[in-house]
Amino acid sequence: MATQTDYLRHTHHEFVAASEQALANQGLQQILGRLGDTLGARNRQAWQLLENSDLVREKARAIKDQTLADLDRHLMTLEKSVQDRGGHVYWADDGAEACCQVLDIIRAAGARRIVKSKSMTSEEIHLNEALQSAGQEVVETDFGEYIIQVAGHRPSHIVGPALHLSAQDVAVILSKPAGQRLPAEREVLAAFARAQLREKFAQADVGISGVNFAIAETGSIVLITNEGNGRLTTALPRVHVAIMGIEKVIPKLADLPYFLKVLARAATGQKLSIYTSLITGSRRQGELDGPEEFHLIILDNGRSKILGSPLRESLFCIRCGACLNACPVYRSVGGHAYGGVYAGPIGAVLTPLYDGLAANHHLPHASSLCGACQAACPVKIQIPQMLVQLREQLHHTPEQRGSRLERWAYGLWAWALRRPYLYRLGSWLASRTIGWWHRRDAWIKRMPGKLGGWTERRDFPAPARERFRDWWNAGSENEESAR
Amino acid sequence: MSRDIFLERVRQAAQVGLAHRVHLHPLPPDVGYVGCDGDLCQRFAAEVDAVGGMAHLVADLAGARAVLEKLLEEVDPATGGTYSALCWQHELLSRLGLPELLDVRGIERLDYVSLAAMSPERRRESMLRCQIGITSCDCAIAETGSLLMCSRSGRERVASLLPPTHVAVVERAQIVPDLIDAVERLSGGASELPSNVVLITGPSKTGDIELQLTTGVHGPGKWHVVVVQS
Repeated sequence: MATQTDYLRHTHHEFVAASEQALANQGLQQILGRLGDTLGARNRQAWQLLENSDLVREKARAIKDQTLADLDRHLMTLEKSVQDRGGHVYWADDGAEACCQVLDIIRAAGARRIVKSKSMTSEEIHLNEALQSAGQEVVETDFGEYIIQVAGHRPSHIVGPALHLSAQDVAVILSKPAGQRLPAEREVLAAFARAQLREKFAQADVGISGVNFAIAETGSIVLITNEGNGRLTTALPRVHVAIMGIEKVIPKLADLPYFLKVLARAATGQKLSIYTSLITGSRRQGELDGPEEFHLIILDNGRSKILGSPLRESLFCIRCGACLNACPVYRSVGGHAYGGVYAGPIGAVLTPLYDGLAANHHLPHASSLCGACQAACPVKIQIPQMLVQLREQLHHTPEQRGSRLERWAYGLWAWALRRPYLYRLGSWLASRTIGWWHRRDAWIKRMPGKLGGWTERRDFPAPARERFRDWWNAGSENEESAR
Repeated sequence: MSRDIFLERVRQAAQVGLAHRVHLHPLPPDVGYVGCDGDLCQRFAAEVDAVGGMAHLVADLAGARAVLEKLLEEVDPATGGTYSALCWQHELLSRLGLPELLDVRGIERLDYVSLAAMSPERRRESMLRCQIGITSCDCAIAETGSLLMCSRSGRERVASLLPPTHVAVVERAQIVPDLIDAVERLSGGASELPSNVVLITGPSKTGDIELQLTTGVHGPGKWHVVVVQS
């Protein structure tokens, strides 16, 4: 018997098999079911309190667009601002180089114990594995990240990495390091993690964080957390290492409020997250806390390739997770099914871009293109359009072009669509044949022959008995006569 | 040099990417500003409560002192009858007579003077042991119920972070209507930002188990803000 793939732990590209497993998992389905209800109402309420919130999102989008147009210049300004304040800047072409740079900093500092604040970029470059195989102890300090680190799972959500676990699951996982059976009570579990992690913080030499925004003119990095672990990571250890993708830079301090106003609303339905830290270099003369060294690693890892492509807009993403919560597909299959570090609609765009399209060919299709992601996005990224573009690119890759029959069928379809009389004839015929057969049931459950592939996992809408154009024409005539 | 190659690659990509810029309409300059109608102190206090903090509206410093006395009594000393408080050195706190308040009760006062005299190991250990952190702020935001704090000597960043209880004393002149005002105030004057600026909007929380909010994971679970209306 073949062993089942453990999607909680391992990356994979079998979206269909993984989602079937997720759909059969009742516990996961229950948790995902709550996602829309709990967060949806909170988010709507928070957006209502921001007047013209649509324009604020537009503003944030405009800042991202302008910044990317001049990205190299803003990065140089950032470098200079950081260096002027005694910080160190490193440029990393890819994940492996970034991991080496982090290791070098740790070794130069003679450090042994490392604490980490949640960072998707560090997940992307698999930093923990790199540090651990070099013999370093690294502890995740975000509560959710800590839980999945103990369990050996991958994150299932950009904002809530342990979202796939129930309180019962968490109790079982944390009972192991506790050495005793912990009850499935949130407060008890949180208190246990707090005590454990406080000890780690007290002894840590190096703190590693991500970057939510980097302000070029002031040389500051902005870190946003609700728990405060981001603050602890950057206050107690002697050395602070921050890792950012090139797209995280914003030009001015005055740009920041617009992002802060939309980020927390989209992520968790708060007006602002609990802690927003602006960190500008290491501690100054006379200060008693804060790190003595500040290192900033600026990572490309494929981003410059995206910057010059039609999918450039994906670099606007501020990693709030709103599109995951809004997506009917994510809410059905959860984060692990996507296989990559980034899940949900934005993951279906980012994973093929970062990790290769052919290897992730299911992802651009893991969407109904309903547009809920774009509507939820605080910077209005046109995710559905990008998924369609990726599908088109897939069509042009040799191994994904489909069979000769399929290509012939699509060719015929395109040929017919270019000839209005044929289209009219075709729709007339369809409404009088299939439309008539399906007059009581609007959905086709099984299509014949090769077409059966389509209906294997979804229904196909049957042509209506009356075509839209006929209904429309009849309607306008009726209106005329009524006058 | 790899840095130059890196930046050149980004420059070229940014140029090519210009063809894919998104077209945006001009936006009114005041977009995003929410501000606050009515009394700043009242609104600020209401928002502090809304985010899970406990606001104490008082008329003057005498009122603030009374609240502080009560809060100090509520602190549960982990061992014995004494505990220590991590305090900012701030003009408002001196006017309040905070040092005397603590000394009278035999509460150990850890501030810049006493902490600076310690070895780094002892300092870290003492800071971790504190039961309460007492600060003011650099600026407070009425619309969101946030405190903005800048680190400098005498205003340690950990005072609002390590102890399980954080108490901040704020007076009317420190409150601004909107986040945009607070950021303007921060950047106004010198171009140099302090090494650490933090915006605090509520007690430490996590939604990591089943999306249900649990307070006090890493930072203070109890967050008191004393608002002096005079």
